[in-house]
Amino acid sequence: MSRHLISCHECDELCALPSVLRPGRYKCPNCGHTLFRHSPGMIEKLYALHIAALILFILSNWFPFLTFEVFGNSSEANFTTAVQYLYQEQDYLLAVALLMTTVVVPMSRIILILLLVAPLHYGKVPRFAPYYLKTIEEITPWGMLDVFLVGVLVSIVKLVKMGSIIPGTSLWAFAALILVLAYGQTIFDPHPLWERIEKAQKEGQAERFGEAGR
Amino acid sequence: MRAIDRNLATCPICHQLVRFPTHRRTGEHYALCPRCGSEVPLRKPASLQNTLALVLASIVFYIPANLLPMMHVHTFAGTESDTIMSGVLYFLESGSYLIGLVIFVASIFVPILKMLILLYLVYTVHRGKTTRRKERRRLYLLTEVIGRWSMVDVYVVSIMIALVHFGGLSEIRAGMGAVFFLLVVILTMLAAMAFDPRLIWDTPKEHYA
Repeated sequence: MSRHLISCHECDELCALPSVLRPGRYKCPNCGHTLFRHSPGMIEKLYALHIAALILFILSNWFPFLTFEVFGNSSEANFTTAVQYLYQEQDYLLAVALLMTTVVVPMSRIILILLLVAPLHYGKVPRFAPYYLKTIEEITPWGMLDVFLVGVLVSIVKLVKMGSIIPGTSLWAFAALILVLAYGQTIFDPHPLWERIEKAQKEGQAERFGEAGR
Repeated sequence: MRAIDRNLATCPICHQLVRFPTHRRTGEHYALCPRCGSEVPLRKPASLQNTLALVLASIVFYIPANLLPMMHVHTFAGTESDTIMSGVLYFLESGSYLIGLVIFVASIFVPILKMLILLYLVYTVHRGKTTRRKERRRLYLLTEVIGRWSMVDVYVVSIMIALVHFGGLSEIRAGMGAVFFLLVVILTMLAAMAFDPRLIWDTPKEHYA
């Protein structure tokens, strides 16, 4: 099928794309849903943002997150302390859900994007690129770091009346991480990545057939 | 012109347009995407049934999520239990209206709204309604965007558990309500994913193609 046609995810309308793309959002003429975003330099930006995100993520897991002090007693919490306590109390379902949505999924998403984008930046298409991109798209809704930030704010307000809360280094790193990831999310668009992969696949096939012919 | 009329469907993974090899009413349920190799259905399979089943399950779980305590606060003075509603009331009484509102919206308003919207969408598609398509599309978009924010309450409980941990003096533990609430959030998210928004725009006879 011609690559200048695209069908809307929401309403199934076939839309013809202009042959020269301008940066910005393209909307479905029927329902107004965003078809895709054309942002030049997306790969470079994603590369930079996700290196930053990786560093910030490690920082926010490394240092103390919050400290809570009441009458001289203090308890310190890291990013994953809650998981530990939940596991000790045998609330396995909550522990697993917490670990998945705040650590495993966001972390693997950052790593997968780096694995995909870093070679593309240097002009190569990684061997397992389709699987990376597939996994990235499937796990994205289950990473909930931004929701977690709101949860942190709410519980700070809840606890601040009972004692004093001391924000740790991690909290700042975490807040920065949310900003970086949010920006990365707004410019992320799978279409150009899939097109790069398809092009590389076709070239690879052509090469293989060429060798067989010799 | 819609893709289904030309026997085309979008690959759910890589958004490639895929042509169905045979005429769609003669059996073939999947096409294979040439780009990423995944199975491409014309519409999400059994979309209405799956959505309805997941929504009903989440309604069932929503009852214990509200009745059972979200967390137990153990202090030397005894044990106190907090349900979702008592948490909201605590905030309203102590004057933090904004936080009370956030918790109320995230854990009571949003899940109920989401279930009602999905039930309404399933009902209208099943009855083959062709009116108010744009509004229904907006409703669907809303369920997709706001769904994850219900997790706030689960996170609040978990952060409280991590911070209030002074051995025998005072300790917070998770209650069964939190587990059920977590299941409600997961189930409603899965239900929204199972629903195929393209069904809203289909003419009725295309549904079971």
